Amino acid sequence: MKFKHCLAGVAALLATSAMGPLAQAGEFDGVTVNIMTQTGAIQEPLQRRAPEFEKLTGAKINVIAVPFSDLYQKVLTDWASGTNSVDAAVFAPQWMVDYIAGGFLEDLTDRVAKEPKIKQDDVGAFFRDFSEKYDGKIYVLTFDGDFHMMYYRKDVLDAAGLKPPTTWDEYLAVAKAVNGKDMDGDGQPDFGSCIAKKRNAQSYWFVTDVVGSMTQSQGTSQGTFFNTKDMTPLVDNEAFRKALDFLKESSKYGPPNELNMDVSDTRPLFTSGHCALNLDWGDVGTLSVAPDSKVKGKWGAAVMPGSKQVLNWDTGKLEDCTKDNCPYAIDGVNHAPFAAFGGWGGGINAHAQDKVKDAAFAFFAYMTEPEQSNIDVTIGATGFNPYRTSQLQYSDMWSKAGMTEDEAKNYLGAINDSMSSPNMILDLRIPQNQKYQQVVLDEAISRFLSGEIDEEATVKAVVDGWNDLNDQIGKEDQLKIYKATIGAK
Amino acid sequence: MSARDERPLGRRLFEPRTIHSQAIIPQIATYVVLLLWSVIVIAPLYWVAITSLKLPGHVANGPFYLPFVDFMPSLDAWDFMLLQNNTLGPYINSVVVALSSTILATLIGSLAAYALVRIQFHVKIAAVACFLLLLVALIVAVYTFGVLWEIALAVAIVLFFLFLGTIGRRFKRGLGNGDIEFWIISNRIMPPIVAVLPIYIMFQQIRLLDTQVALIATYTAVNLPIVVWLTRDFFAGIPIDLEESAEIDGASRMRVFFTIALPLTRSGLVATFLLVLILAWNEYLLALFLSSANAQTMPVLVSAQNTTRGPQWWYMSVLIVIMIAPVVAITAVLQKHIARGLLVGAVKG
Amino acid sequence: MADITAGTDHAPRQSLGEWVDRHSGRIMVLPAVVILLCFAIFPLIVSAYLSLSRFKLAPGGFILTFIGDFNFRRLLLGAQQYHLLGTFKPFGPLEWGLLAIAVAAILYGLYRYATTRFTVMGFIGRLISAAFAIGIVLLVLATYFAGGIPGTLPNTLFYVLAGVTLQFLLGLGLALLCAKPIRGRNFFRVLFFVPLMVTPVGIAYIFRMLADMQKGPFAPVAQFLGVGEWSWAVDPWWARAMVILGDTWQWTPFIFIVLLAGIENQPREQVEAAHLDGASAFQIFRDITWPAIAPIAATVVLIRLIEAFKIIDIPNVLTAGGPGLATESLTLHSFIAWRTQDLGGSASVGYILLFVSTITCVSFFNYIVQRTRRYQ
Repeated sequence: MKFKHCLAGVAALLATSAMGPLAQAGEFDGVTVNIMTQTGAIQEPLQRRAPEFEKLTGAKINVIAVPFSDLYQKVLTDWASGTNSVDAAVFAPQWMVDYIAGGFLEDLTDRVAKEPKIKQDDVGAFFRDFSEKYDGKIYVLTFDGDFHMMYYRKDVLDAAGLKPPTTWDEYLAVAKAVNGKDMDGDGQPDFGSCIAKKRNAQSYWFVTDVVGSMTQSQGTSQGTFFNTKDMTPLVDNEAFRKALDFLKESSKYGPPNELNMDVSDTRPLFTSGHCALNLDWGDVGTLSVAPDSKVKGKWGAAVMPGSKQVLNWDTGKLEDCTKDNCPYAIDGVNHAPFAAFGGWGGGINAHAQDKVKDAAFAFFAYMTEPEQSNIDVTIGATGFNPYRTSQLQYSDMWSKAGMTEDEAKNYLGAINDSMSSPNMILDLRIPQNQKYQQVVLDEAISRFLSGEIDEEATVKAVVDGWNDLNDQIGKEDQLKIYKATIGAK
Repeated sequence: MSARDERPLGRRLFEPRTIHSQAIIPQIATYVVLLLWSVIVIAPLYWVAITSLKLPGHVANGPFYLPFVDFMPSLDAWDFMLLQNNTLGPYINSVVVALSSTILATLIGSLAAYALVRIQFHVKIAAVACFLLLLVALIVAVYTFGVLWEIALAVAIVLFFLFLGTIGRRFKRGLGNGDIEFWIISNRIMPPIVAVLPIYIMFQQIRLLDTQVALIATYTAVNLPIVVWLTRDFFAGIPIDLEESAEIDGASRMRVFFTIALPLTRSGLVATFLLVLILAWNEYLLALFLSSANAQTMPVLVSAQNTTRGPQWWYMSVLIVIMIAPVVAITAVLQKHIARGLLVGAVKG
Repeated sequence: MADITAGTDHAPRQSLGEWVDRHSGRIMVLPAVVILLCFAIFPLIVSAYLSLSRFKLAPGGFILTFIGDFNFRRLLLGAQQYHLLGTFKPFGPLEWGLLAIAVAAILYGLYRYATTRFTVMGFIGRLISAAFAIGIVLLVLATYFAGGIPGTLPNTLFYVLAGVTLQFLLGLGLALLCAKPIRGRNFFRVLFFVPLMVTPVGIAYIFRMLADMQKGPFAPVAQFLGVGEWSWAVDPWWARAMVILGDTWQWTPFIFIVLLAGIENQPREQVEAAHLDGASAFQIFRDITWPAIAPIAATVVLIRLIEAFKIIDIPNVLTAGGPGLATESLTLHSFIAWRTQDLGGSASVGYILLFVSTITCVSFFNYIVQRTRRYQ
């Protein structure tokens, strides 16, 4: 037995020296890893790399894709019920807290420390410190850098003599000015602004973009969802109302069915040249240089617009920015880039068999290694956006992906501006955050935008809904966790 | 038809000569409406078929209608779905689950329906009440007091049989065949969303989640009421003398069922089988809950083509086409049975 | 359920074959009963328990806390009332008038029943149906009519009522046409049956493709009509109409095929005799065809009613329940609650759906299906 083992080891060693990277050939022969994630983007790179990895190590990676809207619950029920069909999952780090509460996620801290090829130092500080970790331990390996940015059409704005907006007021002004112009040369009028506002999709994140730039000005640990004193929702105030106004007003300059559009609708709309302004994740950048894009060389990206006024938490009123209340303001404008969602990452089922866990970790490590990752983040279809410092330099990989130096510098500059901002907003990561955002906030926003309820009723619906949840789940516990996730004192 | 119509033109246009023919104008109107509806039926299917031949660019850049004329069809989506993607797994799951559950449901359902038609049952109300009470007690014991379900179940069964003897002697009121039938059929009213969570928990307890067995059992149960509903009338329609003479010859009831009753109701059974097969083949909600990695079925795979980057119409269309094709083929072959079968079932229900 | 007495006597000794034969009745019914107990009665009771509790994740699994009728109170009277029932507006004269008419009609029906053929059980049943009907009328008036916002329950009722009515009328019309002496009847029969074979999720996506006014097949039409800038998805009624459209496309075939079989089976001699007597087509339909197919029609509508209450795939895919709550059905409501771990809330919505659909379907069965059969 021992001798056999030894032989296998020698064989593996030989094989490794020949093959090169990471895991040993045949190390995981006969091991099958079921990895669940969403369909399409994210699924694509995992599925594409699975055969490569199988060739290297013998582990069979079985990618199971489910629609995004079902992913959270599917993984949760599989793990909570003890079915454990799913050995590992690639999901939003936002959900981590619920998975950890049940003890379903494997602590990866030691494994990461022992695997130099991951080059953990190269991972953006925000992802290293916030996205991957909970309570000081690493549970997730980041594959994707996710935060919201603003995209604009350089040619359209230039033609109108306008600059890319830096505040939300300017955003509306620009959208209004260019709305109805022909932007793709087909003689038809196009749209000033495209934002995904469909229900049960991504719309609630865009609310936080706007609110956050007014509620959070003192850095990530100030927080933007709740008052860190007593867990009061930061909703019944001028900032939230102004954000609602913004959303409603921006609809005037958007496509007629904007209320039924999720990002999957707005992205092709932007890349096919129908929108002057667009809010989205980093994906739009890589999609804009994809072969079928019609906006190549005509687009730009920038950090999310901000606000010249910020909220006084005590009075609920907006106040002009000064040195004290906006320490991180740029040209008097407080920006708060929103790490919405937090970037797709891989976590491993704590109850999987050891061999399977090892194989899953090896696969995730393989995915995140710069050699693979640096290529994947330049491809639009992967859904992966840059998250490593080394990916933010213009290099061959970007030119190979079809980005000109100008485009890349602009795009990567915007990413860098966002990623390095000390005032970045961390997405809500308290237990059952789905109910706060996907149910209460999303539903209220959808009803507001469709005209079912007015602004006051919307504010009330969100405040009541969040307070209700706080009471149900336990206000004190939620406050403690909320403060812990954002690092508030 | 051969004789010349001597009536004035106006009447010839609007009034039929006999009941077996139609005047010209109504006839034209009939064909126009039927063809119009044909277009309504075909158009969406045509769109799916051509979308399966499109590239993402074709879809994104506005409507294209005719392959080779305004866009160049491509087999990319077919290639991806059939050769690269793991479509075979879910397809086999779907075939196995739909066929097995339909066969089981038809068999078990028609057995029950036959028995309910031919044999008088008398179920004591008290026994039913006692059973339900024990079931509630069992569930409360398991979930509130954390009793192991195996133990609770054993105790409940023992108690049930203990009580049964006493109750049976005291209370005589009972339920007849009609009541049992109604109870079976009424189970179809239950929305799956009410039952699916407990079913999930049940399969999790016996470690069968995410297996074909779980789906087969659930689909069998869900479709059983329809089978009973439709088949009971086929059996009621068989002249009883045939069976009686067989029984006099010494054939057992089971044998009578399989050798006389089933063959005589072939048409109806085929129609029922097909309807249940279609329902099982297309079921989505239960499959979504009960399967994750290994037992995923086709409808779940179809809906999984909706991504954050937008529905991948081309892939989705391929899946829809390969899902419809076999069912259409089967239906075309069996279409005569369907009409006849459904009719008998629906007349008396 | 073991206490089923088939009409057989006990014999002291018997071989296995004889035993099976003696108990064949029970053996034949038992599998069906056991399966339904496992998959219907047991889940119902567990679901009832779930609906009275709160679900919470905990290390190693989950905890259920008993919270009484909290979930139901929240849905029917409390914070979630707007979601399930809707937002009510006070009645104007029109609503009061309609309410008065409806209540009067229902009371008259009860009165007639009580004075003609009275049985205690029948009267109790009718009282329940009547109370239920008045409740529904109130709800519909307070949301759809008075300018309130309908919740998921009125939405579902709308889908059921409008969808089934439309499908029945279309199915009946097509069946009548197909029963005419025409060529290619079998072709039409098979073709019209096809939509039923498409998986509902697929249909939902197909209609989402078709309804895309920018890139769908109707985009040029929309441009031409000058409504390219307009979207059905932002208007509650148009969005609901799209849902009904998809549902109708799928289910009309079912009604069509059954009714066609019924019409083909009607007494030919009577039709021919009536025709010779100079009866109009409408008279023939009213006096001969309709009475002949009424029982089938009632049954087929009942089957459709039962299935229509379960609608979820089409609204979920087309609009995800939006704009606002406009297209959300009860099953979708329950499903969304499940998706966000609110298992108690999900089960209570499911239970309310079960309650509503059971009363509706049983009432329909007793008052309509049974009656059409009696007259045959």
